[in-house]
Amino acid sequence: MEYSERLKAFEEVKGRYNRFLTSVLWRLTGERELFSEAYQTALLKIWQNVEKLNTPAAGAYIYKIAVSANSTAWKDRIRKDGHISIEQNELEPAAIEKKGDDELIDAVRAEISKLSKKQSAALIMRYLEQKDYDAIAARLGCSEIAARSNVSKALAALKKKLTFFWARRNENGK
Amino acid sequence: MKMENDRIEMLLKKIGSQQIPPDVENIAERQFSKFTDKLKEQKHINFREYFMRTKLIQISAAAVIILVAVLGIQLFRGTGQAVTLAAVYEKMMLVNAFMYKGSSVVTDNKQQGMLSGETKMESTVIISKDYGMKSESLGFNANTSRKIHQQIYILPQEKNLYWILPEQKQYMAIEFNHDLLERWSQKIDDPRDIIKKIMTCDYVRLGRKFLDDIEVEGFETTDPRFGTGEFELKFEKLRIVLWVDIKTQLPVRVEKNIVINEQMKIDSISENFKWDLLVDAREFEPVIPEDYKNVLPDGMKMPSFSEEEAVEGLKFYLEITGKYPKQLSAYLSQELTTMQDSDNPTEAALRLKDAMKQISEEGNAQKAMEMMKPIHSLAGFYMMLVQDKKEPVYYGDVVGPADANKVLLRWKTGDNEYRVIYGNLTAESVSADRLAELESQIPK
Repeated sequence: MEYSERLKAFEEVKGRYNRFLTSVLWRLTGERELFSEAYQTALLKIWQNVEKLNTPAAGAYIYKIAVSANSTAWKDRIRKDGHISIEQNELEPAAIEKKGDDELIDAVRAEISKLSKKQSAALIMRYLEQKDYDAIAARLGCSEIAARSNVSKALAALKKKLTFFWARRNENGK
Repeated sequence: MKMENDRIEMLLKKIGSQQIPPDVENIAERQFSKFTDKLKEQKHINFREYFMRTKLIQISAAAVIILVAVLGIQLFRGTGQAVTLAAVYEKMMLVNAFMYKGSSVVTDNKQQGMLSGETKMESTVIISKDYGMKSESLGFNANTSRKIHQQIYILPQEKNLYWILPEQKQYMAIEFNHDLLERWSQKIDDPRDIIKKIMTCDYVRLGRKFLDDIEVEGFETTDPRFGTGEFELKFEKLRIVLWVDIKTQLPVRVEKNIVINEQMKIDSISENFKWDLLVDAREFEPVIPEDYKNVLPDGMKMPSFSEEEAVEGLKFYLEITGKYPKQLSAYLSQELTTMQDSDNPTEAALRLKDAMKQISEEGNAQKAMEMMKPIHSLAGFYMMLVQDKKEPVYYGDVVGPADANKVLLRWKTGDNEYRVIYGNLTAESVSADRLAELESQIPK
């Protein structure tokens, strides 16, 4: 594809996917600086793969790009700030009670960024976009059973990561 | 365990229900525009460098925001929202499409034909990030008592400019096959460009007042640098006033009072701005009835902007006027046209005048363009040097054809290298030291 054609295709992506990309990345980051980094990474990935975004598989690619950009931004953040994952026991039981849902939501976001690409994309479609399993399957290019399996594995992974969280809270409650 | 499952799903649904705050949409819009501009600027972008620079800018911007916030508390306490030109520009750049009404009085006593004397115009202008610019103007020329009706479409996507004259049933379609023309055309009457230019000039705040029940803050510049840069226009008089709505931080009125190149006086007002207009691609499709005559049937051949063409332009000007132009500007060809009417015209000037008269009678714009091509090339070459920041300096006001070894025009070509065109129109490359020596010989 000529440079000018790539440029045109890139600009067309804005009309088609910018709203989606902004919305998904905002929900997955929840914070302006992190969003900004994820969005920039997504733009770069779109540019690098702009040819693929002109094919029928574009819908699947844009999810991959969003998931990957989000994951990169969170990794960079963790590298920069030190470990912010709840695995690091940053959230002491007493603090957990005080922090409420906002802090928990951030913890969930951080953990989503560590899921596999397919699980992450399936979870986004199911819970962030309220899509049916047949739509998720079509987008991921897999069977409905596999789509359910990806969502369920993602939930299980999140649960596993967050288990100690509730355990500590219960201990604290005793 | 069931409770934990429900809790995670509840948190996920909560994340899913979050709406995008408007400022986040703005961040995305801004980043997309910056990224696209960068791609357009250079074909082989160094992404590592780009991201490093973007991060540095973010860090610097954060520092500035903190500083402004601290100072702002001190300086603007109790005065309501402070307006800054940078914020106005930034906000305008986020708008997808907008329109405004313009009214102008142009007085040009040296211009010949339809636009000589005083011309009053009323225009409606629509500017869209996606589709380009469209304007429709209706006017009246007092000298000729003629109505003027023109439509201009500047369409960056198809790289075309359409100029339609319904009264004359004529039109021109000009292809942008040169980047400079494209950049120049897109800036015509664009308030975003006006604000950007004011920011580079000395300006004063005019304080606040009410315009049609809207509280506005004013900015005024009379700085002659407003005309330098991309167009190199020489303004004898200049006053640009911008009134900004303090609530929306968007322009409400732009007033221009300028005199250009000792001959043209323009007083104009742009107002009735409508922001975030919904526009359709079809609005930007020029409607040209079949019986309209294309006055550039073979398209417009753009002059090439090279050193050789610039020298040809200087020779052409010299032949017509017996001297070099005092300055190089976008108005060079107009200046030359008026010089045909000087008291002691050269033979070449008389020939040019006759030829232009005949062309005018034939209504053949194509021939006129061809005839003036060397002059367009000269002006274009100089504007290109200015735009590319090649440090061009032109000494036509003090160096003439008799000053064979004096620098007439010079520009930078390398770290320590300059290209020089001398008074006898020969050219050579010289070092910075040699240039300094040569320039010390130029009469002040």
